[in-house]
Amino acid sequence: MPVQFTPQPSSYRDPSGFLFHHDGILYRQVNKSFQEDFELFVSGGLYEDLVSKKLLVRHETIEANLTGSHDWYKTLKPELIPFISYPYEWCFDMWKDAALTTLEAAREAMSKGMMLKDASAYNVQWHRGRMMFLDTLSFERYHPEEPWIAYRQFCEQFLAPLALMHYLQWPLSPLLVAYPEGLPLPLVKKLLPFRSRFNLHTYLHLHLHGSAAQKNTLAPKARSSFSAKKLSDLLRSLETAVQSFSFERRSGVWSGYYEEAGQREDYFGQKEAIIDRWARGLPVHFAVDIGANEGHFSKLLAGQNKYVVSADFDHYAVNRLYQHIRKENIPNIHPILLDLSHPSPALGLNLEERASFTGRAPKGLVVALALIHHLAIGRNIPFNRIARMMRDLGPWLIIEYVPREDEKVEQMLRDKKDIYDWYRPENFLQAFAEHYAVRAEERIGQSGRTLYLMEAYEK
Amino acid sequence: MAWWMLYIDPGSGSYLVQAIIAAVLGIAFFFKNIMLTVKHFFFRIFRKKSKMP
Repeated sequence: MPVQFTPQPSSYRDPSGFLFHHDGILYRQVNKSFQEDFELFVSGGLYEDLVSKKLLVRHETIEANLTGSHDWYKTLKPELIPFISYPYEWCFDMWKDAALTTLEAAREAMSKGMMLKDASAYNVQWHRGRMMFLDTLSFERYHPEEPWIAYRQFCEQFLAPLALMHYLQWPLSPLLVAYPEGLPLPLVKKLLPFRSRFNLHTYLHLHLHGSAAQKNTLAPKARSSFSAKKLSDLLRSLETAVQSFSFERRSGVWSGYYEEAGQREDYFGQKEAIIDRWARGLPVHFAVDIGANEGHFSKLLAGQNKYVVSADFDHYAVNRLYQHIRKENIPNIHPILLDLSHPSPALGLNLEERASFTGRAPKGLVVALALIHHLAIGRNIPFNRIARMMRDLGPWLIIEYVPREDEKVEQMLRDKKDIYDWYRPENFLQAFAEHYAVRAEERIGQSGRTLYLMEAYEK
Repeated sequence: MAWWMLYIDPGSGSYLVQAIIAAVLGIAFFFKNIMLTVKHFFFRIFRKKSKMP
């Protein structure tokens, strides 16, 4: 009987092994060619060391060749991660923690006679309340005379985006959509301001490195002799650089929104009570909070033991939420940057390597609070398209309708030509009725706003 | 992208510059460590003095 398995589309580069699905479960195969390194990884204590320090995702070893491959050595069943986010959806502090996790993993590896052969940002993920390394097969035997093979990759995928965001104080995560393999260093060198040259670490790893990358010739590989001391200095320097970068808590588009919203009589309290009651009764484990701001309602849902993907397009708001959940240790909120009118697309080879946001979103409850007017009036998106977008994200929906008379809508229309005659509750309900049945409806105090609980029809 | 870059493994280009950078860092950290040792030395002396009755 032929063996049934589906290779993970993003897992084809590394000859050490690959990820695949079998009976709906994700596994990782270790190939025979990587046996020696993998044995050292486990028997040398590095695996246990990384797992105990929460730097690496745990796995179970399965003694079965599920792929039927001749190159099979071991099958691993990694711990399930409910939602995968990509670097272009990370806020500054997620990047920074991911970079530090990678460097810490490299240091731990070095202390056990191994080294990281990959420094890809896609190998790190928000899991169990911190940025954690995913790829078990990224550790190989360390040869002190060799330089760090992943050095350039680290600079392109971690150091460069962080440095640009730090020096320009501009949220630049989406650059990785254009450059999924990392930012070209000669370009980074041109974009960085002159003053960045006065930081020794930035100068060496980005400016000098960028010049060298540009001047590269067809000369044979220069493998000058390296040493453990040199590698240790290199890691220390990269760590110092990453630690020195910061992203100021400047006020974003939505910063201060809750303080202002909270002042509106009992609007906030009543809204909380309704959502808490409705969400508690739903048969869902996952929620996607779109337009989450600093995640006030994401926290409410997380308190009900739901796993919440908390999405917003304001980098500062997402960063603040991330800092909060790190500090308060809330592992079941996954903050991401997302512009709903341009959600993360499918990328990579055959458009299969990185799934689109819609394809990845864990399906359950979609929460869209005080958002409809921003999509309909702010972005000119008709109700029927908004309804379809939300339907694609999950079968349940809690949505807040903000009427035309609302001061926030009036504020939006003040500087805009009013071409929104169609923005009326009856049109809203008609458009959503194509996909959903309304299960509950409640007015939020005297605000004039209404909350709806909707359940999608079977597709 | 220059044509020759298409024939070079992306990782290999950084070996030579990595060696140069590591050498510079070796010197920089050597002096930094001396500075830290000196600072630490004076810090200990002053701390002892301030603890004296």
